[in-house]
Amino acid sequence: MWQRRAFLKAAGAGFAASLLPRQALALERNELVFASAVQTRAGGYGAVLLGERGDVIASIDLPDRGHDITFSRAAGRGVVFARQPGTFAVVFDPAGQAAPITLTSPEGRHFYGHGVFSPDGKLLYATESDFEAAQGVIGVYDATGDYKRIAEYPTYGTGPHELLLMPDGKTLVIANGGIETHPDFGKAELNLQTMDPSVVFVDAGSGALVGQLRLEAGLHQLSIRHMAIDIRGRVWFGCQYKGAPSASPQLVGYATLDGDIQLVELPPDTLRDLRNYVGSVAVSADGETVAISSPGGNLLVAIDVAGGKPVLVETLRSGCGLAADNAGFVATSGLGDMIGLAGAERQARKFDFAFDNHMLRVG
Amino acid sequence: MRLVIALFLALCAQPVLAQAPATVAAPATVTPQATAVLQAAVNSVIRPAMVDFKNRSSGLVSAMTALCTVPSPGALMIAKGQFRQTALAYGRIEPIRIGPLMEDNRAERVLFWPDRRGIALRQVQAILAESDETATDPNTLRDKSVAVQGLGALEYVLFGTDALVLQGPEGAFRCRYGKAIATSIARVAQELAVGWYDPDGIVQHLTSPNPANADYRTETEALEELVGILSHGVEAARDQRLRPFLAQGDAAAKPKQALFWRSGLTMPMLRANLEGLRDLLLRSGVGKLVGTRDIGLENSIAFEFRNAGRALEIVTLPVEAAVEDEKQAFALNYLLLVTQSLQGMIGEQLSGAMGLSVGFSALDGDGG
Repeated sequence: MWQRRAFLKAAGAGFAASLLPRQALALERNELVFASAVQTRAGGYGAVLLGERGDVIASIDLPDRGHDITFSRAAGRGVVFARQPGTFAVVFDPAGQAAPITLTSPEGRHFYGHGVFSPDGKLLYATESDFEAAQGVIGVYDATGDYKRIAEYPTYGTGPHELLLMPDGKTLVIANGGIETHPDFGKAELNLQTMDPSVVFVDAGSGALVGQLRLEAGLHQLSIRHMAIDIRGRVWFGCQYKGAPSASPQLVGYATLDGDIQLVELPPDTLRDLRNYVGSVAVSADGETVAISSPGGNLLVAIDVAGGKPVLVETLRSGCGLAADNAGFVATSGLGDMIGLAGAERQARKFDFAFDNHMLRVG
Repeated sequence: MRLVIALFLALCAQPVLAQAPATVAAPATVTPQATAVLQAAVNSVIRPAMVDFKNRSSGLVSAMTALCTVPSPGALMIAKGQFRQTALAYGRIEPIRIGPLMEDNRAERVLFWPDRRGIALRQVQAILAESDETATDPNTLRDKSVAVQGLGALEYVLFGTDALVLQGPEGAFRCRYGKAIATSIARVAQELAVGWYDPDGIVQHLTSPNPANADYRTETEALEELVGILSHGVEAARDQRLRPFLAQGDAAAKPKQALFWRSGLTMPMLRANLEGLRDLLLRSGVGKLVGTRDIGLENSIAFEFRNAGRALEIVTLPVEAAVEDEKQAFALNYLLLVTQSLQGMIGEQLSGAMGLSVGFSALDGDGG
């Protein structure tokens, strides 16, 4: 995770200079800053910046449910994307100096909840759906000004979900979940019989297809959705299985830019408790451990990327959000919990809002 | 859409130190109250509804057999009536998307919907045009697309273009295909009933959650499943059965995007969905598993279901005409609001009052 690693170096002085006094103080006190979309107890939606000690540094209201957040040190901006099939994304200044900008997806498109900045912070890429054609697209936005949408690339599949920038800084990797939805039918999954999920590498400059990887044909109902990139540049992904609940296929694997894709073998008990659903994937700060979560199974699993074996299994009710901290991971839950995992020395905390599926370390 | 976004310092969201991490406690113990609710859900609602669907679909097979043996207008009328009974019986169990219904593509086999691209129509018309005999044997029909072996396909056979050929001998192929569909539906109905009466199956796990189970390990998980059925059921009714055909903003109504518009069963099917959900809520007593502060919630939800029922009674015209009629279109739009409200009351308020996390990340996924 090129960008997320870059954030480590951004902590502190980088953007503290322009902070409002209270936010500056909070950032100064905190070595680590995390961001997540949330739902308030009253049912409202927003996003929060949290300090290492669990203090809320800043928050932002959202018109509807958010999903993931991306951040660019170079741009000095974060973006929270609407959960699919939402049509907004909000660009915010963590320092609180600039007014937020709301992007609206163009006619015939909606966001898929994920996006990423270019390394120089000048472009923002977002996964979107061309829902009439049932094709995934990447919206390219000019992050130097008013975030005008300046280009559109295909994702070479249906139902794109997370996208990341590869460590080379010039290749995007996209998880095409394979599931067709249409705003006319809410969350209904329209093509479970004919799903065709894939991991796709796309040239960030031209949108050209670099490579497309699929799991074996018998696994066409294994929706590839969330990803994180390890120290070796392998793209770890977590899946959600849409076939019969009594089946229990492997759910975690990795893909590489040189064309390898495979699932790793998790032990039967662990796999069973994932409930055919991986909700998020994160890589540790050193890139040597990948963590996955299953909110339905109340399970968090840390996997050693070298051996592909679980090194830790932890339970957290409704736990889904994952982000690296210095030693391990921070995990958050739909019930407002935040805990440390896999070596993270962190006191468990409870907030009076519910964390959404994803947690991002922004500093 | 102009959105006003406020960035503010969160004074209202101060964290508190948790007493302990919210990890899952094992072993699970199930309270007698929860056990009673789960057993009532199964024994008073789900099992009888599964048996009813099985019986209705057997009646449908008989009616199709009679129609194919001696075609006549009367026999066709009876077959259509049995189709209606079978479809509505399925409408009551359709939201129970757990266990046997989710295995072996059964839900899609019985009703492939939504079908945004009109796949079923094209494929069914092709079978009829080519007199594809492999579609008249339930065993070979099973290997075809799920879109041509369920209620949607049979509706076209009985109510679609040229369906009147079924009244005479020239409809022999069409009738044999319809009979094979009815037989396929009845097989699935039988499998569902068997699944829900399997002594070691889902009922055992759902009513006696245990850490050793693969599916329901704790009381909370079993209750989340139950409340999830209710919450997702009203959501699906709204998003898949109502909203797709209503006028929205500048977009005109699309009555042919409604389920079962040919047979006039659009609204009865929606009613069956909602009544099935209401029965599951009230007869299981799940709304009573709350603290004294929230004891009135069940009543409020029941009241909202009655509002839905009243609105449904107003919509008497076929959907094509109803969307053009001021009063009935108003009732349809009111139903949108009522189902939205029901989803909030069940998925957020009831779920919250019971300490569940139905409406959020645990069971609501990432929007996929």
